[in-house]
Amino acid sequence: MSAGVPREVALDAWRARRPASPTTAPLDRDALVRRFHPDHDANAMVTLRVGSAAGARCPAELAALLQAGSPVRDVDIAGAPHRETDVLVIGGGGAGCVAALEAARAGARVLVASKLRLGDGNTVMAEGGIQAAVGEDDSLQRHFEDTVRAGRFAADRVLAAALVSDGPAAIRWLIGEGMSFDVEPGTHRMGGRLRRARVGGASAARLLSLRDQTGLEMMRVLREAVRLQPGVEALDGHPALELLTDARGACAGAVLFDRERRRLALVHAGATIVATGGAGRLHLRGFPTSNHYGATADGLALAYRLGAALRELDSFQYHPTGLAAPAGLAGLLVSEAARAAGARLVNGCGERFVDELAPRDVVAAAILRELEEGRGVATRDGALGVFLDTPSLEAETPGVLRDRLVTLCHLADRAGVDPAREPLLVRPTLHYQNGGVAIDPTGRTSVSRLFACGEVAGGIHGRNRLMGNALLELVAFGRRAGVAAAHEARAPRSGPIGVAHLSDWQRAMIAAGLPLDACSPQLFPSYGNFDLAAALTEGVA
Amino acid sequence: MSREGDEPDARGARVRLRFEGQELEARTDASLVQAWLDAGLPLVENVGCMGQGVCGACRVLVRREGEHAPGESVQTALACETRCEHGMEVTFVDPISARRPRPYDLRALGDSWTAFDRIPEIFPEAPHCRHCGGCDRACPKGIEVERMVGLASVGRAFDAAPLFDECVMCNLCIAACPEHIDPAHLGQLVRRLVASLALRPADLMARLREIEAGTQTVDVEAEIPEEAP
Ligand SMILES: Cc1cc2nc3c(=O)[nH]c(=O)nc-3n(C[C@H](O)[C@H](O)[C@H](O)COP(=O)(O)OP(=O)(O)OC[C@H]3O[C@@H](n4cnc5c(N)ncnc54)[C@H](O)[C@@H]3O)c2cc1C
Ligand code: SF4
Ligand code: SF4
Ligand code: FES
Repeated sequence: MSAGVPREVALDAWRARRPASPTTAPLDRDALVRRFHPDHDANAMVTLRVGSAAGARCPAELAALLQAGSPVRDVDIAGAPHRETDVLVIGGGGAGCVAALEAARAGARVLVASKLRLGDGNTVMAEGGIQAAVGEDDSLQRHFEDTVRAGRFAADRVLAAALVSDGPAAIRWLIGEGMSFDVEPGTHRMGGRLRRARVGGASAARLLSLRDQTGLEMMRVLREAVRLQPGVEALDGHPALELLTDARGACAGAVLFDRERRRLALVHAGATIVATGGAGRLHLRGFPTSNHYGATADGLALAYRLGAALRELDSFQYHPTGLAAPAGLAGLLVSEAARAAGARLVNGCGERFVDELAPRDVVAAAILRELEEGRGVATRDGALGVFLDTPSLEAETPGVLRDRLVTLCHLADRAGVDPAREPLLVRPTLHYQNGGVAIDPTGRTSVSRLFACGEVAGGIHGRNRLMGNALLELVAFGRRAGVAAAHEARAPRSGPIGVAHLSDWQRAMIAAGLPLDACSPQLFPSYGNFDLAAALTEGVA
Repeated sequence: MSREGDEPDARGARVRLRFEGQELEARTDASLVQAWLDAGLPLVENVGCMGQGVCGACRVLVRREGEHAPGESVQTALACETRCEHGMEVTFVDPISARRPRPYDLRALGDSWTAFDRIPEIFPEAPHCRHCGGCDRACPKGIEVERMVGLASVGRAFDAAPLFDECVMCNLCIAACPEHIDPAHLGQLVRRLVASLALRPADLMARLREIEAGTQTVDVEAEIPEEAP
């Protein structure tokens, strides 16, 4: 990327030209996205050579984890302690908690294994809201068509239909668990109307929320519900390292890493649900991310080694406005609400360059073009971004920052910026994994007794996700997978349980000429200074 | 240089602090979590959202320079939201859980005439609050925890619930409470009661009736126009 305009010079240009022009030059959106959106960067993609998705394109960083060896060997698990459960849920974010609750209520004994603490994932960070077609001017069909259209017609239509059809019932279910939603001002909690907002790509106002803390409210409620649910046990600090199989190749549980005791712990389960969330912390192409610390695509790597089909692996959502500086906060989300309220994007020459409310992939591509062509704003630290012109917004609508953009002000404060006086420096941030493990409407993967739900699953959103559909997905498909897994767990199991699938995997890797020394899942970001191999040997010794 | 033109990088003076007994050098615009990682130390717990300040995982005890007087209390904080200062002494707080689990079944508290009376049954210590303010001092979000406890213990759930809007479930108030009241979970109980008993949006109910009656369906095969209507 080019150097960009030094920040002081850019600030002068911004001051001289503010407020930026109300119109922008017309853009060839398709060409812009093809040229500048990271999904279309051929150099960043490789073709997978082994596994169920061999031949598919995939970002190199993810491919390195999919085509990798296991940290677990046959001999390692021989002496490891093991326990039995009906349903094992891997990942205690939103999707994992919903699945655990529903599986337990369907009569299963459930174990939820989390890498960090129960609830520390992407769900708690969601700000905007959840989509459900409840408005009189709205319908399930509209929600369906918006979802498929936003996904560039690549979604599995049956899954998308299941998603939207579950929407209203999912909201009712969440209220039943104790989650609050905003109601329309002037209406009542009993018999009133839910407050709805319209988001980019939606044909009706359908985004339901609790202020800009929807995910926080959802995760608080789900975590508390799981904690109190009889039949569910939560294991914190137990990341999954490998899946287990039975004699027929069906999934039979997982090998966990007991972080505190630094040793392996086996869980034999009648059904296993992968709910490990996203992949932002892989920092594809060096991008910053909005995701939580544990978003390292672990579930994709585990399911892939067992032969599960994956889809749309080359498709990610880059949110246009992540913080660009300071380094410690880079990637954190500046919500779309700022642009929805009228904040404009301005380059280093003080010019507006895109309709800020165009679809996310278009706005992200437009910002990347400015950065690449030298019109970005450069700090002395080497950060590069464009301005989000909050001062002009405040000047036009006095009080808007304080009244409507509370989270933004909080974030700006920590970045050391007064958003009423200085524009924020923003740039696209890696936000969401559009594809993932292929599932059917009950959350079943292509591997027997293995289920997936939440961000790790694929097919619902196609190649681009509508804002608010991820929170709906984790409730709708978490419930579906939980119930189906509880039933599946009752079927008799066959034969010895172990990691027999790894020998086939190794043969395939060798045949493809791929090295076996690199292991996945990654568990923590590369800068987490964690060495699993060392931790394991230390524990054994 | 004017405040406006001040570069973010110009603010980052270098300082020294102690974190879990280790001497670290850090910049004042870095958070404590960032300083820990930059020092090459392993981070596999006490972290989640990495700066958004919503998951409550990164609890630390912080003693600032000049607070060495005997008996001087240290402050609790979230490491991802706290910037480095010279002379700080920082330690992570181990995960805190309620001393006694308080089982209740939200769905069994369905009678709104009696549900709020049950609060002191489920949290029998709540009426014993000694107003020591320990919870308020411990809360990194500045929540009026003590006030919430008072309101909740007399059944004023609607007044109590909004006080916990910003709670990130860090559980520091649990650790601080000498009466073992578990304010964090009490806060969740009142919030959950308020929603599950008294949020009944008419538009949602109407749509659910339509779905039940079969008048809201999805045509999976529909021809979908490229552009939104
Ligand atoms: C900042 C931000 C804002 C967002 N805003 C919105 C919004 O407004 N609306 C919307 O619909 N969506 C939004 N999203 C997307 C949405 O929040 C997520 O897609 C969704 O919450 C994912 O839920 P999940 O349960 O699948 O994953 P998570 O909540 O991330 O949970 C996954 C869990 O699995 C654990 N895990 C990972 N690997 C392992 C392993 N190997 N073993 C055991 N456990 C493991 C993780 O630590 C984590 O706890 C937002 C996302 C972010 C990051
Ligand atoms: S109320 Fe308690 S749990 Fe909630 S943020 Fe404050 S100290 Fe943490
Ligand atoms: S710490 Fe406990 S006893 Fe003290 S004020 Fe808070 S709730 Fe009351
Ligand atoms: S890491 Fe989530 S609050 Fe600090």
